[in-house]
Amino acid sequence: MKVFFHALSPTLESLSAVSGSHPSSNSSRLAVETRRLTRVYKTRRETTTALHDVDLEVEQGELFGVLGPNGAGKTTLIKILVTLLLPTSGEAFVDSLDVVRDYKRLRNRIAMVSGGEQAGYGVLKVREQLWMFSQFYGMDSKAARRRIDELLDRLGLAEAGNKEITSLSSGMRQKMNLVRGLMTDPRVLFLDEPTVALDVGAARDVRSEVQRWMAEDPTRTVILTTHYMQEADELCDRVAIVNRGRIVAEGAPRTLKASVDEDVIVDLQLDPGTPLLDRLRAIEGVGAASVREEDGVDRFSLLLADDAVLPRVMTTVEGAGRRVSGLVRRQPTLEDAFVKLVGRSMTEEEAG
Amino acid sequence: MGVAVARQLSGYRAAVLLGWAVSSNWTRPILFIAYSLLRPVSMALILAVMYTVITGNAAATRPYLAFLIIGTAFWSFIQEGVSEFANGILEDRGRYHILKYAYIAPLGFPIYLVGRATSKLASAAASVVIVLLVGAFALHLGINPLQIDYPLLVAACLLAFVSVIAFAITFSTMLLAGRDTNGYGDIIAQFLYLFSGAIFPISVLPGPIAWIASLSPLPYWLELCRRAILHARVYQMFPNMSDGEVLLRLVVATAGTVLLGYILFRFTDRRARRLGHIDMEVNW
Ligand SMILES: Nc1ncnc2c1ncn2[C@@H]1O[C@H](COP(=O)(O)OP(=O)(O)OP(=O)(O)O)[C@@H](O)[C@H]1O
Ligand SMILES: [Mg+2]
Repeated sequence: MKVFFHALSPTLESLSAVSGSHPSSNSSRLAVETRRLTRVYKTRRETTTALHDVDLEVEQGELFGVLGPNGAGKTTLIKILVTLLLPTSGEAFVDSLDVVRDYKRLRNRIAMVSGGEQAGYGVLKVREQLWMFSQFYGMDSKAARRRIDELLDRLGLAEAGNKEITSLSSGMRQKMNLVRGLMTDPRVLFLDEPTVALDVGAARDVRSEVQRWMAEDPTRTVILTTHYMQEADELCDRVAIVNRGRIVAEGAPRTLKASVDEDVIVDLQLDPGTPLLDRLRAIEGVGAASVREEDGVDRFSLLLADDAVLPRVMTTVEGAGRRVSGLVRRQPTLEDAFVKLVGRSMTEEEAG
Repeated sequence: MGVAVARQLSGYRAAVLLGWAVSSNWTRPILFIAYSLLRPVSMALILAVMYTVITGNAAATRPYLAFLIIGTAFWSFIQEGVSEFANGILEDRGRYHILKYAYIAPLGFPIYLVGRATSKLASAAASVVIVLLVGAFALHLGINPLQIDYPLLVAACLLAFVSVIAFAITFSTMLLAGRDTNGYGDIIAQFLYLFSGAIFPISVLPGPIAWIASLSPLPYWLELCRRAILHARVYQMFPNMSDGEVLLRLVVATAGTVLLGYILFRFTDRRARRLGHIDMEVNW
């Protein structure tokens, strides 16, 4: 029966290629491909376009980051790719399978983990819970137990494995959920904000485990969403920056940062006083400006066309009667790239 | 193929264990047994007392007591079946936030749902036997295990089992559309109670409702259970039909339920994905 099944599958593949369910032939090594992917949410009160004509290509073996502020559409994108939600229009393929038409076959090849939620059955022990899911994925029972032990061990949960999950800290629970995603060895693993609300140490454990898991097999792919700039920068091979349902830039973190290389980036610390942001933005040569309050001081980030702009900035600051408590020139970050592309900081975008 | 079936089976087995751990095995089996025993038995006894008060237990009405008790006995199967499917799916979404992960797993979603409800169905089957025993010994219904028409009973119950599961899968998936659908499983089970001929023949219902009830497999199933157990010594809902005719109606009604259930499930499942119901934030 198994032989028959295998002999049949190439025919099925070629059939679907003829019927057009396959993406373009040069994309056979693409782990994810979307074409004009659009998703609209309609509620009684409003209509939200969460994704707007998103074109995305992620190659096999990539650790790909989707970076954007709250409400950018990151979770919506993941939900569509894992067959939980249908797109309103456009197409999406994961591991060359159409997420709408081929969703049943696709489910054998993917897994998803969302951070920041307390998923799980309180009465079950960690190992029981994970084993149960391994069975939903059709894993051999013994092999699954071995794999679960190995992964729990690596994430420092070997002892917690025999505890009921209600007795776990939220960080441990999030790690347990990561194990659920990793253990079935999916072709493409989707992680929706896997480190959100984790302390520094736990977040580092999660990141390094994801990297190690990818290194085990170079054809594995991870799509990870985050709104931590630094995480995307350190972890991802490539990043798509999304804002309000659109991809505003895409590339390796280094390339994205290079887009602000020409600019002079200045961090300016001011004691509290009259609002200044709009006046700074109005200065000729100021590419973008953002501000955040920290420890009672305003920290402005400015993208300047060149050094000659700085005196004009200082004149404006003094004119407003604000006192400068610090001034540094620094290397560009992804945040700067975001600010330059969108014109506002992520925090401002989130504030709406 | 064989491999695929084996994988679905091991997934089913895990879902059964899950249902047992989460829904049935409240922490102490004693409690669980008390619940699956006391509820159906007390329901049967209440009906028996009501019957006695109203009829004075006149000999001529004894077949109606048998009608009542056998109907109630088998009813717990519907009660537990329908409500457990509904409770399971809604709990998995609203309380445990796990439904989306089960949904996108390779295990077929209907198989997951059946597995999740299996332990409750099994305990419901135990309730059926217990109430029948109470009927036989405490109420002297004259049930003789050696005279039961087992082939007819088993055939009728298998068909009913298929219908109830088809209905419960579809109905529970439909409940995903609401944010406040907790408890709807029990309500709909009560509602079906009216149509099923469990405590009174469907012919006493108002015309259109009786007609709808006659399309459902439930009255035919209960009728066959009664006839298989007590033959002519029980009040009959369809005195003009032979056993074969009732069975045929049950087959047709079951086929209709399964077909309709399948079509509706396909539609509901797709709608749930279109509208994002599977991981919707709900009031819990
Ligand atoms: N079920 C829904 N019904 C209506 N609108 C929705 C629904 N889900 C998401 N939205 C809207 O779609 C947009 C994108 O939401 P989404 O959850 O995809 O963003 P996100 O990038 O994941 O944000 P976050 O960082 O907060 O998780 C938001 O404006 C959100 O309000
Ligand atoms: Mg999100």
